[in-house]
Amino acid sequence: MIKFLLKGLIRDRHRSLFPILSISIGVTLTVLMQAWVTGILGDMIDFNARFTTGHTKVITRAYSENMQQMASDLAIVGVDELTDDLEKEFPNMNWINRIRFGGLIDIPDESGITKSQGPVVGWGINILTDNGSDIERMNLQKAMRAGKIPTKSGEILMSDELAEKLNVKVGDDATFLGSTMFGSMAMQNFVIVGIVHFGTTALDKGAIIIDFKDAQEVLNMENATSEILGYLPSGKYNNELASEIANDFNSKYSNSEDEFSPKMLTLSEQNDLKSMLEYMDSIIGIIIFVFIFAMSIVLWNIGLIGGLRRYGEIGLRLAIGESKGAVYRKMIYESVLIGLFGSLFGTIIGLGFSYLLQTKGLDLSSMMQNTSMMIQSVYRAKITPLTFYIGFIPGLFSTIIGTALAGIGIYKRQTAQLFRELEN
Amino acid sequence: MANSIITITNMKKQYPEGKGKFTALDDINLSINSGEFTGIVGPSGSGKTTLLNIIGSLDVPTEGEVITLGESIGKLTHRKAAKLRNKNIGFIFQTYNLLPVYSVYENVEFPLLLLKMSASKRKKAVLDALEWLGLTDKIKSRPGQLSGGECQRVAVARAMVKLPEIVLADEPTANLDAENAHNILKMMSKLNKELNTTFLFSTHDEKVIQYLTRQILLKDGKVVG
Repeated sequence: MIKFLLKGLIRDRHRSLFPILSISIGVTLTVLMQAWVTGILGDMIDFNARFTTGHTKVITRAYSENMQQMASDLAIVGVDELTDDLEKEFPNMNWINRIRFGGLIDIPDESGITKSQGPVVGWGINILTDNGSDIERMNLQKAMRAGKIPTKSGEILMSDELAEKLNVKVGDDATFLGSTMFGSMAMQNFVIVGIVHFGTTALDKGAIIIDFKDAQEVLNMENATSEILGYLPSGKYNNELASEIANDFNSKYSNSEDEFSPKMLTLSEQNDLKSMLEYMDSIIGIIIFVFIFAMSIVLWNIGLIGGLRRYGEIGLRLAIGESKGAVYRKMIYESVLIGLFGSLFGTIIGLGFSYLLQTKGLDLSSMMQNTSMMIQSVYRAKITPLTFYIGFIPGLFSTIIGTALAGIGIYKRQTAQLFRELEN
Repeated sequence: MANSIITITNMKKQYPEGKGKFTALDDINLSINSGEFTGIVGPSGSGKTTLLNIIGSLDVPTEGEVITLGESIGKLTHRKAAKLRNKNIGFIFQTYNLLPVYSVYENVEFPLLLLKMSASKRKKAVLDALEWLGLTDKIKSRPGQLSGGECQRVAVARAMVKLPEIVLADEPTANLDAENAHNILKMMSKLNKELNTTFLFSTHDEKVIQYLTRQILLKDGKVVG
């Protein structure tokens, strides 16, 4: 009997192929949506963590109130001792120093006269120091468009849009003009050894990257830094854990009376990320709920229509002598089979597309030409354990529930009524 | 009455209609013996199909008693009614009602699957039935590839394959031309004689009436002759 029913199921496209296709499409969209939204949010957090916020960040209280100004005179002093303390107190965390600064970059011609100049945001990161840990963290190898990563002091990287604007190429000289930690003028000649594309418009429009030690020297920041970034051992942001660490640190080191005392901020406390994360979380929750709900109704409807259009066949089977219970059970078995195949195909296809979007990403840089926000321009999906079943469960159950509801008609209708529907 | 296989006593069938009730059948008293080739004859709307459905346990009487093969139809549970139909009653419909995605062989095989008959017995029974009806060359065809006459022959084979005691045929020739109608009726008459299967028709078709050995005239829900 099972073989007989399977034959019918396979041969009747209205009962098998079309429902499986519909379920697959619905499940695919649900899976893709979840992976895409998770990927965007995760990328945004990860991007901010790697470039600006860390999972936690130690700065002075004064610096925290004027963070956008990147004022080097509000930097943390005695950074070597503080870093040692951090490594002792929180040994599982990875602590790195960074200096962010602003200034002017001047490009001289062959005779030393200014050829072009423009404002820049400078990043003093670990290229030659700390085993070049920021090279990987800021994805510099992949970001290189020309030249090489600095191998000695006095070499810098420049963002591609800025290089284009200033009309410079690898090997050209550049002079940085700014102010030191003590307010005096800072001026230093560098050689541009590489052009990079960060994938975020805010940086690509005007950034230079130099080694942390070079930045300390130029800005006269001996044993000082703008920020100490902390990264959780898992590499993934965990707000609860980060808050715990920050509270612990602040209770021991931060003094509200001293504006130069250190203060630890979590990722969510920076760049308005907390409200954005909460907002994004809610929006994502709503989108996914609405999407799954809508898909469930569609799939349920498919189960319902599938059941209703078979009243004739059911009438015949009842007339021939199959019991109502047996007919109902077989309808449910069929829907389980259809739901399983549809959900399985949908999940596989959805995972396939998600994987493509995870590895290749979607470059939206052309749509973000004028943005100054620190957001990435290549968006990627992210496959998580949830991706494997978020579409599967509604795909399977809504089909079964739809069929089960349609099948209730078998019980409610008199056999003779089904029989009459068969005749029609 | 020793070989009576259908006995109907003071049977009434009513359907709800608006706030009242519509009486489809009233005061029906009948007895049909084993091996009869009988027709319930009457105009459209006289209650023929309703009567056939009640005899076949597809419906239940509102009042009175209908006993088919010793079972009181009104007292049967759904499961027992299904069992009765499955084992002992074959149905033939006006519109054939073959399952379109299955072959002729599979359509005829279907009632035997419900009886959980073994594969070898099933095969023999299906091939026998198809041979009686002259359909051996159509075994692999689907209903959509057959003519109306051939479809109805498949429907007869499906009804006969389990060798039921009763075959209920509701306007079996309504969609057939004269030649096909006669062929089908000849076959059913032959099966009635050879297998002693009781045939009960509902019809107003003269072609059918001429083959009947007994007519039960029905008018406005009452037996009039």
